[in-house]
Parts: sequence; C-alpha cells; structure tokens
Amino acid sequence: MLQRKQSPENRPDQAPAPVPVPHRKIWRRLPWWQWVLGLFLVIIFLFPFYWVIVTSLNGANQVLQFPPVFLPHGQWQNYTRAWSEAPWLRYFANTIFIAGVTTLLVLITSILAGFAFGTMQFWGKSAIFAGFIAMMMIPQTVLLIPDYLVLRDLHWLNTYWAQIVPWSASVFGIFLLRQYFLSFPRELIEAARLDGATETRFIWKIAVPMAKPALITIALYVFLGSWNSFLWPYIMTQSPSVQPIEVGLATFLGTNGTDWTGLSAAVVFTTLPVMILFLVAQRQFLAGAYAATGGVKG
Amino acid sequence: MFATERRRRSAYLYLTPAALVFLVFTLGPAFFVLYISLFNWNFLNSALSTFVGLQNYTNLLTSSTFWHSLAISLYFVVGTVPVGLFLALVLAMALMNQFAGRGFVRLAVFSPYVTPVVATSIVWIWIFNPQFGLINGLLHMAHLPELGWLQSQRWAMPGVIFYTLWHSLGFDVIIFMAGLSGISADLREAARIDGANRWQEFWSVTWPLLTPTTLFVLIITTIGSLQAFTQFFTMTAGGPMSATTTTSYLLYELAFLFYRTGPAAALAVLLFIIIAGLTALQMLLSQRRTYYQ
Repeated sequence: MLQRKQSPENRPDQAPAPVPVPHRKIWRRLPWWQWVLGLFLVIIFLFPFYWVIVTSLNGANQVLQFPPVFLPHGQWQNYTRAWSEAPWLRYFANTIFIAGVTTLLVLITSILAGFAFGTMQFWGKSAIFAGFIAMMMIPQTVLLIPDYLVLRDLHWLNTYWAQIVPWSASVFGIFLLRQYFLSFPRELIEAARLDGATETRFIWKIAVPMAKPALITIALYVFLGSWNSFLWPYIMTQSPSVQPIEVGLATFLGTNGTDWTGLSAAVVFTTLPVMILFLVAQRQFLAGAYAATGGVKG
Repeated sequence: MFATERRRRSAYLYLTPAALVFLVFTLGPAFFVLYISLFNWNFLNSALSTFVGLQNYTNLLTSSTFWHSLAISLYFVVGTVPVGLFLALVLAMALMNQFAGRGFVRLAVFSPYVTPVVATSIVWIWIFNPQFGLINGLLHMAHLPELGWLQSQRWAMPGVIFYTLWHSLGFDVIIFMAGLSGISADLREAARIDGANRWQEFWSVTWPLLTPTTLFVLIITTIGSLQAFTQFFTMTAGGPMSATTTTSYLLYELAFLFYRTGPAAALAVLLFIIIAGLTALQMLLSQRRTYYQ
C-alpha cells in the first residue's frame, strides 16, 4: 500500500503529508437537522467518557438503580478502594519504563535507518527498503507463537526485554523519517561536509533537530501504542512486577468484575495519563494520522 | 568523512539495528511459524516434536471449528468495515465544512481511538450490562424489549462491533479528511459550473478521486478487523458458546490455552494467507478503478 504507482507531480517523497484545508464555504450556516445530527454524534462519542466518570463517583446502590442515575454523587472512596486492591503504582512504573525505553529505541533506529535510506546511495538500497516495508505485512497475531518460543529461548519471558526489544524498530518510523530526509536540502549536507563535520555529528547536531516535528509524531504514536498494548505483554509476562497497566487492568477486571464503581474508578485513573497526553498533543496526533496517509494519497 | 566509500559502508551500519530487530522478531519468526506448522510440536520440549507434514492443515480445513471461526470473523469484518467506511466518509465530508465547533467535533470523534481497548471496553461492558446497563435502561424507558447483549449468542457480536466502530472510526475519518483535502476545489467547482448537482459532483469527481484513500482505509480496516483480539478477550472471551470466537481468538485459544502449538501455527499461517490475499485482491481490483490526480 506504500509502494503504489505515483504520478510524478504527486510523489510522497516530494510532497509533505497533506494538511487538510476546509472547503471554501466559510462559516456556512448549518441547517437544523445537521446540528441535531452533529450533536447526536458528539454525544455518542463522548458519552462513554462521561458515563465512566459518573459511575466511578456513585455508590453501589445508585449504580444498580432504575431509572439510571445520570449525575455523580462524590463517592471518592471508590477510587481509594480500587487503588488499594492492586499494585497500580508498580503497573504505572512498569508501563512508563517500557513505553519510554521503547520510544527512545524506536527513535534511534528510525533516525539511523531513515537517514541511510533518505540521503545515501548503497548497493541493494531499494530491495532492502522494500523488505523493510514488507515487515508491515506480517501481523502480530501470526508472530505470537514463534516469538514466544524465541523469547523463551532467550530467557526473556516475563522480563521487560520481551516487551521492549521486539518493538524497538518501527516501519512507520523509518518510512516517515526516510520521507523527511529525502526532502532534506542537499546544500546543508554539502556545507557540513566542507566544514569537516563528521557524519555522526551531522546527524545528531543538524539533521535530528530539524526533523523534530516528525520525531515528535513518531514518539507519540509509539508511546501510545506501547502504553495501550495488551495481547503481547499478556502472553509474554506473568508477574505484576514486570506487567504493564493494561494487563493489570484486565487482571483487575477478572478479580473485581462485579464491582462496577471500583472498576470504573480504575478505568479512569489508568486512562487519565493517555487522555492528558492526547489533549496536550492533539495537533501532533492528528498530524500523525495524516502522515499515515502520506504514502497512499501522496 | 562523507567520501562515497565511507558512506556506502556506514549506510549498512545505520540499517543494522532496525534490520536485526526485524530479522530476529519478525522475518525469522515468520518462517519459524511455517516450520512449526508442519510438526506435532511439543510446547514444553521442542526436541520431542514430530514431523507430520501438512496434517495440521488438513485437520484444520476439515474441522468445523475453523470454518465457524472464519464465519465469525467474516461477520465481524462485514459489520465493521463497510459500515465504518460509509460512516467515516459521511463524517469526514461533514467535517470538511467550516462551522462553529468543528474542531471540537473532530476531537470528540477521534478521541476514542487513542484510548486503551482494555479500559474502554470495560466501560462498554458496563453500558451493555443486561440487568443494570445504560442501554437496557434506555430501552426499558422507551418500552422496547431489553436484550442480553454480550451475554446473548445473538447480540454479543453486534455489541462488540458497536464498540469497535466507536473506538476506531475517528482514525478513518481523519484519513478521509486528508484524502478529501487533496482533491482540488477547482475540479469540484468546474463540475458545478457544468451543471452537476451535489450528488453528481460527488459521484463523478469526489468519489473517483478519493479511490486511493478509500482503498487504503478498506485495507487497513479489514486487516485490523481480522486481527482484532483485545475487545473479544475482555468483552466476550469468545463466547457465549463461541458466538464471538473469531479466527484470531481461536488462534489464541489453541496456542495459549490448549497449548496445541502445531495446529495453532498452521492457523496462523492460514490467517496470514487470508490477510495477504485480501490485501493483494483489493490492490488488484483497484488497478482499473484508481484515478490519479
């Protein structure tokens, strides 16, 4: 999907990811039914967020009441109860460590590979690049069994390594940085060469700072993906001392499955960091989604 | 330092970290799973595995469990992909207009996509709860029959489909918006000047020019749906009575609940073939119908 034929004036390696420009009808007055439809959609998409907060702040009797209680009643003890019933602090620390190190490693591997593909000439370049892209075709589900056996042979099961190293290179990251380095001004490379800068120095001091927007996009998506991942850590680990937050939450669901107020509180405090990150960096997240289409539309 | 010879060698050096990761954890294992699938694999002691040729495959292809899971997967794909595609396109086109609150609506639609599936599926398990859940409460208030949702063989899958659409639609909307913004307004205006109404303008200008984007969304959502696992794990655990045991869920059961590594590996290979085949088919079908600007 990233290698389709492109018309010459529209190649992804020359055009940056399209930034959406609203069609020209400025501040169109919407007919009433579109307002109603829009409002309905916003409610459908946002209501579950509201509902989990309401449930997390209500007493067990209000939750099981009919008709449903739509307002919160300040039962903050749900939070203290839920917090005391699982090693959440440990889960948080594990998640932050795993997601943080994974992100850092992905950035490093993507910068190096992206720089090579984007600025250098070498034998087998396009074949290797195609090979890298093909890695995207192999689904995670298919790799679970063999990777489980590989990680077992490495004695990495139930460690941080099993959750970090297999994810420390990203095709998306390499692809995005290759696009970026392809459009990198040649004169800068030439100038650096004449100044006698070494290649490594050039990469880390000039190219990387200039690639900051792309790097932030990659970092956000890798961090989010690592934070939200479930199946992989669930299979590859058993003890809470190395497990991430989502696995902890699933365990909590298994043991406290009928305590809806406590469960809701746990959902709120485990999801809050992700939502804050999203709200703070919403522009970059949306830009990343646009960038994902860079190879297709281009 | 930038001499051609140096550069050539350092390029390989720069590719090594990523290539190693892919080799050890993606490419190597892809061949390894193919190898495992030809054995009656001993999960605890690989050395005791016995070669059985294609028997794992013939067993699977003649078992009703496999075909049932495939039908369930198909149900899920049909429920999420075409519906999601249609909804995402309509939403994206609506959001291409400027109106007060546009940014907020876009943010609202996108926000479920960033949430962890374990966490938000718990919220929906609660909303779908047959006794005390919100949806049945609303149905009751409207004097409509209440449903068993995730605990009913009939309604469990629609429930998971609804959750999945809620969770993932925003991403498709954003991709469609990117595609739509790439279509030149001049072309659309030209069509209008030629007397096309909105409907004709859509079918003769927007839709054909949007084909690459549509195809991209089609492929990624189909692959995503075939691989979906977490919401099935938390919401239904494949049940009730395997009413939601998709091929991916069956793979998990075989491999990590029943430790039937060989058959599970064969299933993984079949799943890979299905995914790769669908991708190739969608690409092929598009060759004729894709328009480039």
